[in-house]
Amino acid sequence: MSLLSVRGLRAGYGLVEVLFGIDLEVDEGELVVVLGSNGAGKTTTLRAVSGMIEAQGEILFDGQRMNGKRPDQFLAAGIAHVPQGRGTITDLTVEENLRIGAWTRKDGEVAADIDRWYETFPRLGERREQLAGSMSGGEQQMLAIARAFMSRPRLLLLDEPSLGLAPLVTAEVVDRLRSVTAETGAAVLLVEQNADLALGFAGRAYVLEAGTIALSGAAADLKGDEQVRRAYLGF
Amino acid sequence: MSTSAHDRTARERWVRGGIWLAVAVVLLVLPTQFPEFRVEQFCSWMALAVAACGLNVLTGYNGQISVGHGALYGVGAYTTAILITKAGWPMLAAAVAAAVVCFVVGVVIGLPALRIKGLYLALVTLAVATLFPLVIEQFPGLTGGSNGLAITSPRLYRGVVRDKPIVFEPAFGLAGDQWKYYLFLAATVVCFLLARNLVHSRMGRSLVAIRDNETAAEVSGVPVATVKILTFGISSALAGVGGAIFALNNARVNPSSFTIVVSIYLLVAVVTGGAASIVGPAIGAVLFGVFTDVVSPSLPARYQPATPVILGVLLIVLMLTAPGGIVGIAQSLRTRATARRLRSSSEGTTGPATAA
Amino acid sequence: MNNFLQVLVVGIGDGAVYAMLGLGLVVIYRSTGLLNFAQGELAMFSTFITWTIWEVGVPLPLAVLGGMVGGFLVGALLHQVAVRPLGDPHLRPLATVIVTIGLFLAVNGAAQLIWGTLDKDFPKLFGEGQITLGGVAIAWQKIGAVLVLALMVLGFWFLFQRTKIGLAMRAVASNSESSALVGVPVPRLLMLGWGLAAAVGTVAGVFTAPGLGLGSNLMQLTLIFGFAAITLGGFDSPLGAVVGGMVVGIMTSVLPQYLPIFSKMRLAPAFLLILLVLLFRPQGLFGRKQVERV
Repeated sequence: MSLLSVRGLRAGYGLVEVLFGIDLEVDEGELVVVLGSNGAGKTTTLRAVSGMIEAQGEILFDGQRMNGKRPDQFLAAGIAHVPQGRGTITDLTVEENLRIGAWTRKDGEVAADIDRWYETFPRLGERREQLAGSMSGGEQQMLAIARAFMSRPRLLLLDEPSLGLAPLVTAEVVDRLRSVTAETGAAVLLVEQNADLALGFAGRAYVLEAGTIALSGAAADLKGDEQVRRAYLGF
Repeated sequence: MSTSAHDRTARERWVRGGIWLAVAVVLLVLPTQFPEFRVEQFCSWMALAVAACGLNVLTGYNGQISVGHGALYGVGAYTTAILITKAGWPMLAAAVAAAVVCFVVGVVIGLPALRIKGLYLALVTLAVATLFPLVIEQFPGLTGGSNGLAITSPRLYRGVVRDKPIVFEPAFGLAGDQWKYYLFLAATVVCFLLARNLVHSRMGRSLVAIRDNETAAEVSGVPVATVKILTFGISSALAGVGGAIFALNNARVNPSSFTIVVSIYLLVAVVTGGAASIVGPAIGAVLFGVFTDVVSPSLPARYQPATPVILGVLLIVLMLTAPGGIVGIAQSLRTRATARRLRSSSEGTTGPATAA
Repeated sequence: MNNFLQVLVVGIGDGAVYAMLGLGLVVIYRSTGLLNFAQGELAMFSTFITWTIWEVGVPLPLAVLGGMVGGFLVGALLHQVAVRPLGDPHLRPLATVIVTIGLFLAVNGAAQLIWGTLDKDFPKLFGEGQITLGGVAIAWQKIGAVLVLALMVLGFWFLFQRTKIGLAMRAVASNSESSALVGVPVPRLLMLGWGLAAAVGTVAGVFTAPGLGLGSNLMQLTLIFGFAAITLGGFDSPLGAVVGGMVVGIMTSVLPQYLPIFSKMRLAPAFLLILLVLLFRPQGLFGRKQVERV
């Protein structure tokens, strides 16, 4: 059974509907990407799957129906969300960002976890007392990912990590993300405009167009298919 | 379809005309049906309505928040009082001068408002409103200080020329208070018509454009700075006329009449009546007047402070549920009624586009 | 010189009170981004609660604690019913101003309804005594105000820097959406902020009331002084509230000695300060967030 199973997802803002019935699946530990252009509904999909906005249709996580639950209940179930633009809390230090990431945890291993993330991201370890807002975009993206992992999620939702980052920095972030997921066993649902990057990272991909799934399949197949590349991916 | 739409607008025009006619009749008959003290209260409602109309132009239409219009109201009242009492000006000239002085003061306040916006402008104007009565008390030679100033003019009294409080003499077969009422009514109507023409003019569209999106207005070629400063001036001039009516009506001015609370009451009038609608502030002022002059005095003294509690709660409830105020509620009711009528008359063939 | 020192001492005592009210304003600005025009009225209301508790025979320091608890509850309640439904204050500045103004009216009227319109005598928390140092008389009440302010600053520092709740409150103030994403219960923390601000305001009211007499208009001038303090210090800076409060207190106490025109208009220099700072340095001395400007 899939970890995340979304059926007929419809969502929008006020009177404007953005998603018109989306089906998608993410398996335990799987890396999945949703591709699409600006306005296709990528961010809305993630916001619905983390409980930030109301949605119709069915959202099943680990067999549990999530519709109508609060964001903190999504989080408690094991879904962490790194929003677009990273969402680091800029007025807090690096360490405080990580501590706030563990807000819902009651166990005593928070400090040990923080140290572990400093090992994984040495750049964060060097800057633990620095305000998050004073760091570079790439460092903030790593902090945002580390903070999301502080809640020990089983599924990480990641919204356009490449946004505003130089290609080399993006490559480094993705590289780290891959090793982190391998280590923690967490699944990732990534949304991206940068298809080349995303298809290199994920095992499976969906292409979102104007609020519906236009195409899905193994990442390698999509990357290899000349016609698909020209029609949907633009490279 | 087209005939029914035509019928609707024609019918609406008739209804509208009827309502306005009824309002006019009531306004004209009112002073003949009530004792003098009530008529004077109606006059003070008009003063508030004109000032609220000015505040509405600034806050409702242009989106610049002022919590300090009570001070401008006070400047208008004191200018009128001082010019009549100390300089011997006739009443009408003093009232016009009050408008001019307030226009200038408004422009001066409007200059920093180009850089200070939103909540911070509210803060600055709140400070102005709190400061105003203290400034009045600081210059007792001119303003009468904390004792206030009786508005007097030299008149022949028992064979000697003396300074006596101004009165409106009976004229044209009307009692003094009635004559005063009609004069103020005329001034009030002129002010509201001016405000109406202003917001329907090219400049009025600029006001709203700036409120809704200042950057967009700027790039569309609206001279934002000029319009904002002018709006502050015009709004203040209207507040000044309101203050002049207030002063002439009471024949005296006191610093305690122009505390921060007056600024708040002006906002109450605008918001309860309906910001960004011309008649809204007038409705709000009447509602406020009924509350403070009719409802509140009828309560036992112990419970009279209930009035600000009710007004405060009303303000919050309106803001959270119906930001358009009474006018907004009426409009949405009418829209709903029209939509229902259209639905039933066209039996479902009318799309939502027509109903909206 | 002695005269100057005497006025300076008075100014520091006043400044401590402005700083207390300012701290409450900063807590609310930081957490919800709004300037709370009803803050002074809330302080007035909870000072009345303190007075009521004291009147039945409870010692004043305990009564103050009771008043703070009462203020906390009133502040938290008003946030839930009136402020929370508004949404982001900077998106709807007019609605925000109107709601806090509505609270101003309602709380002021409620105090008159409950406690009547006659001013009450209010005792000094630190008594009537004074000490004389080098010819300068310093009232215990003034010393007390500075000490209480220091305690408050210490308390806030501990709350915000050393506790998990305080960390969450800072997170919400900085980025409420991201805070919600990590599971922080944002609305509950905002409510807590309003309650805290009202509790702190109680103390400002308790120090203002003995001089002015406790009436429904108790805090209207102090509110402007408090706003002047945080405008100068920076709307989001607790340190700024303290420094700004001191500057405003000293300024409004010393200036009238040399410029008699300000003797009845002690508010005028505070007003000019607000205006000039907003025009030329809107972030204040220690503030970080950019105040809205063209």
